[in-house]
Order: sequence, then C-alpha cells, then structure tokens
Amino acid sequence: MKAKPLSQDPGSKRYAYRVNKEENRKELKHVRIDEKDAGDKGKKLDLPKKKFYRQRAHSNPFSDHQLEYPSCPDDMDWSRLYPHFYDKENKKMTKEVTIADIGCGFGGLLIDLSPEFPDDLILGMEIRVQVTNYVEDRIIALRNNHAKKMAYQNINVLRGNAMKFIPNFFLKGQLSKMFFCFPDPHFKQRKHKARIITNTLLSEYAYVLKEGGVVYTITDVEDLHNWMVKHLEEHPLFERLSESWENEDKCVTIMRNATEEGKKVERKKGDKFIACFKRLPTPSIA
Amino acid sequence: MALIHPLQSLISNSAGNLVFVVIKSSVLAFKCVDGQYSLVGRWTDDLASNETSKQSEDATTVKKLKDNEGQVVKKAESPAPGIAFSLQVRNLTLTHDESKLIACVDSDKSVVVFEIDEKDGANCLKLIKRQPFPKRPNAVTIAENGDKVLIADKFGDVHRISINQSEVVKSEEMEPILGHVSMLTGVTLAKNSQGQNFIITSDRDEHIKISHYPQCFIVDKWLFGHNEFVSSFCIPSWNPSWLFSAGGDDSIFAWNWEKGSKLSHFDFSDLIKPHLTKAHRGADRFQNEKKDVIECAVSRVLTCESIPFLAFFVEATKLLYVLEICPKSGALTLKQSIKFTHNIVSLSESHDEFCVTLDTSKSDDEEYVNFVEYDQETEDFMIDIAKSEAFNKALISSVKDDASVKADETDLYSLYGIISLKNMGNIIPDQL
Repeated sequence: MKAKPLSQDPGSKRYAYRVNKEENRKELKHVRIDEKDAGDKGKKLDLPKKKFYRQRAHSNPFSDHQLEYPSCPDDMDWSRLYPHFYDKENKKMTKEVTIADIGCGFGGLLIDLSPEFPDDLILGMEIRVQVTNYVEDRIIALRNNHAKKMAYQNINVLRGNAMKFIPNFFLKGQLSKMFFCFPDPHFKQRKHKARIITNTLLSEYAYVLKEGGVVYTITDVEDLHNWMVKHLEEHPLFERLSESWENEDKCVTIMRNATEEGKKVERKKGDKFIACFKRLPTPSIA
Repeated sequence: MALIHPLQSLISNSAGNLVFVVIKSSVLAFKCVDGQYSLVGRWTDDLASNETSKQSEDATTVKKLKDNEGQVVKKAESPAPGIAFSLQVRNLTLTHDESKLIACVDSDKSVVVFEIDEKDGANCLKLIKRQPFPKRPNAVTIAENGDKVLIADKFGDVHRISINQSEVVKSEEMEPILGHVSMLTGVTLAKNSQGQNFIITSDRDEHIKISHYPQCFIVDKWLFGHNEFVSSFCIPSWNPSWLFSAGGDDSIFAWNWEKGSKLSHFDFSDLIKPHLTKAHRGADRFQNEKKDVIECAVSRVLTCESIPFLAFFVEATKLLYVLEICPKSGALTLKQSIKFTHNIVSLSESHDEFCVTLDTSKSDDEEYVNFVEYDQETEDFMIDIAKSEAFNKALISSVKDDASVKADETDLYSLYGIISLKNMGNIIPDQL
C-alpha cells in the first residue's frame, strides 16, 4: 500500500490546517466585510501559508472536473464574489467584471492590480483546487485586515476551466483586459492543443473581449512565447502592441513584477518574454 | 440469433430510389425499381477487417501494468469512457446534388468520399478519396456547394477538406478552422434571414456555438440551456432560423438560433420512464446506495422536410416519438409514439418519411429496417410495411452468405455509445 498523502492523513499538520481554513472560508467567503467590522473586534487574520496548499503543478484541461459554472452568463451570481458591489435595493451589481486573469495561480497579480483599478472588478480563474483555496484564503485575510480602507473588495477567484467554460461566465465584449501569466508550456507537440493560446481558443477570447481590449501574455519559456505571438499575430482579430506601448503600460510593469512565477524567474535570473495584443474591431460581413 | 449485424446507419437519396446502409465496416447501396430493391454497390473497409483479426489476437493477451512498487498487475482491456471504440463506418452524408457519398471510417480515422455512378450496375460506389485525420472524425457537413466538407472531430476541432480532388492532405499540415476544448458531436452550416452564413457546432460540454462562416474566427453566440451533453441537433428546412437539439438532458430544446433565444422545450422523462430497462441502469461506479441511478440519452433528433414534425429516440429503447412543432411559437407537443419490435439503432429522414434501423441481434426476426411514412388521410405516421418488407428481403438475400456482415455479439456495445458522453466529473470526485 502506498502511504496516504499528507493532505489526507488526519494526523498531519497539513490536514489540520486545511480543515481549519476550509471552515473559515465557508464562513467568510461570501460575507460583506464592512468598516464597522474593523477596529475593536477586527482581529487580524494570518495570511495563508503556501506550503499547506501544495498540489501537482498541472491539471488536464480536457478531463471532466467537478466544476461549478453557471449555465449562462446571466445565471452567474457575482454578488457572492463581490458583495461590496451589490446593490441590495435594486438587486443588481453596481459593477461587472472587466478584467480576467486566466490561470491566476497564487493570485499575486490580482492583489497588485486591485488598488490600481478600484473601479474594475477583477476575476482570477484557476483550475487547481488547492491553489484556488489558497487565493480565496488570501483574499479573505486581506479584506479582513484592510477592512478600514475597504481594500481588496474588487478582486476574487473562482475554480474553473477557462478553456471550456469562459463563455458561460462572460457576455460578448464584457472584458477589457485578459492576462495569461506564465501558462503551462505543454512542451510535447501532441499536447499543444492543451495550451491556453491556440488559434481556435483565441476566437473565444475575442468574443468576450471588447473592441480595443488587451490580451497580456508573459512567460519565461521562449518557445511558448514564440508560439503565443505566432498564433495571436495570425488571428485576424488581434494586433500586437508596440514595445513603447508596453513600456508605458502600468499593467505590464505589474505583470512583470507581481506574479509568484515572475518573482521566481527573477530570483533565478531568467528571461521574461512579454507580448500584448489589442482586440481589433470585428469586421463587418456582407 | 439474427443473420446479420444491425445496420448502424441508413440514408436515402431524395428520389428515394437509392438507399445506402452501413453494416459493420461495409457500405452497401440498394436501388429501388417498381418497389423491389436490389444491391447495386458495395465497399468494405479492408483496414477494418485486418484490424479486427489483429484485435482478437490481442484480446487473448491481457494488458500488463505495473503498480507503484513495480509489481505487475493484470488489467482486462475495456473501452475507455467517452469512447465507444469500434471499427465501423459512420455518418453517411450525401452532397446536395447527390453525386457523392461521404462517410467516416473509424479504422484509420479517415473520411472516405465515393462518386455515385448509377450507370455501373455492378458497383455504383467509386472510392475517390480517403483522407485520414489526426483525430477521429465524429460529424460531417457539406460546404461550398459540395466542393468541400467540414469534419468535426472527437478532439474538438473542425477541419475543411476538398472532396473533388483525390489528393490527400498530410494530417500535420491541417489547421482547424474552428475548435472547442471538448468532443464535437455535430456540425452544420446555416443561413440567417439576411443571407449571412454561419457554422453551428455542438459538444459534450453542453455547448452549441454559432460562428460566422467562412470567417469562423468571429464567434456570434452560444445557445445556453443544456445541462448535459448535446448529441444531436437539426435545422428544419421550412424555418431555417430555428434549431432543435437534444442529448443527455430529459428534454428536447427548440431555439431561434438567429436571435439566440430558447423557444420551448419538451420534457420526455415521464414518457420514457416505463420503457427504460436494466440497460439504462448506471454503471456500478456511478451508482448511489439504492442502486437506482438511471441514465438515458437522446441519440438523434430530426425534423421532417416540409411538415412541422420532429422525431427522436432515446438510446436503447424501442420507441420513436414524434412531436408536433407549432409553426408560430415553436412549442412542442406529443403527436404520437411508435413502438418497434426491437431497440432503435439509427434514425434518418427523407421527404417527410422517417426510417429506423433496429437491433435484431437477440432474435431471429428479419426486421432490420422500418420505414415510417406520413399518411395524408389519417394525418398519422405509420410503418410502411410493404416497403420495409421489400427492403429487408433484398438486404437478406444480398448478404446472407457474407461472413463479414454477420452478427457478432462482441461489438454490439458500440451501437449504444451515446450515454458514455456523460460528464464524469459530476460523479467521480476530483483527484487532488
């Protein structure tokens, strides 16, 4: 018999930690944290520790997962993710999600984007369960610890397979920015369809992006960078943005420095390859 | 035990005097003159027959796997979920001018194109092209007035090939024109009321996607509403902006695809319940404690060519349901149900006449095919006994001594593969 992994061994620290955090998450995930909660009774929540959320680095995007997704964008209850932006009187959201971080990993980008775009709702999508839990716990703790300033109310994460279900979440032209940071390179040729940027998937990203919206890509794998650039350049609905545009865009700076992967590459003194593309207007068809 | 394997597929030309059928890995053509059918064409997939013999050898050697400690464990071969693996021919499609017949062949994942040469009385099926694909083709539609065909595969990609040239394209050089990250179950072209062309694709993740054609990179919309996989959809020629779809759900859906709105749905769960058998009991690993999980799925939904009716059947049942479609609202009501002597395997339509092929493998019956016509006087659908008998007689006399089409218990499961499209993620918990 193979030994049980630590996460399933009730005697392990990791197990105890996960159970504790899960209870916490259930309680606080969809709660509106207000200013009055801060101060006197506002006890600081510890930020989650990554070591307790380890899991395999890869997830097969083709396999059937236990996923929750709305049957169509209108069925999506965003108030659970962004309670602060829910207007109880009119029973509708005051803002909608306009920025998506596809494969958000441990959520570094979300957290750095949050104060830069206070008027945008930002959603991270991540396919790995434990990593999603980590980001949720991180956001819960941050919202709690910054309750006075109402910070981090505009970011959240959900577990999902963006390659399959992105149109279930977003309406046509809803997004203004999509980030693809350090995606799984899927080196083998027969795995190329599993890459997050393919010419067929780009048509779906173009559908959810508004005209003029931007696709951001960053990777430390040069082959993957060339692949993404090639496919985006070949796609009739995208056009590459210039290097000078990149140098002036604040998101590029954040993306370069914020993500966990980005920091890791920094430590290892590796290269980072960036490419940004603008969503062109849909041509009219006779 | 019946003499021949159930017919997996059948298609007629519009005049009704040519009928093409698939039995195992053979395509047969029958011509009708004065109500009598005779065999006029035949093609057998040689690769498949070689493959079958190779397979039976393999079957005796059990696949060996090693566990984590390096110990050899024996595991019996079983078909993977989601793939009804068989060496068969599927998706017979005629070009609009009926000069060519197209079929998907499983043995080498190829698409075969035949020229139909009616003058050749000995064999009217002339193979002009055999185009292999990187992944198994699963649905076919004709494009560019019969110049091209669109092939939707099990990997989620749609490819376009020319059918008038016999050269074969290298599969590495093929670029998909459109794709899903999910197995595709259907593809068709449609025109909206402004005359713009669209391509509509369905998959096993509940999606029906509508993109412009040939500008497939512009996605127009999705039709949302299915909670299970979509196995089949069709567009009626009498109202080309409507679409009917079905699959793993308990309902048939009616849509206005042009507007992207749902018109109605017809819940058949109560109708079908008394007719579900132990064949519909969910597999053990998906069972609950009471062992009463029932799984069923619609294999096919098809509209009549000129009258407002559609027919559908649930996999592994004997019933064909005909629904009446309100031409104004798209509302669906039950018109009638027709019970056959055996399970329905395939359904096709030609000039308001439905045709079913039946799974006779467990009996000595010779009712392989039943034609169901619309009687103008009674305004009911009924089995055309004379036509059915004439066809079955011709079929049996043509192939009764042919070993390659004889019934064979081992590959019958492939007739019932639709239910395996069900999403397993809702049942099997994720491995973290």
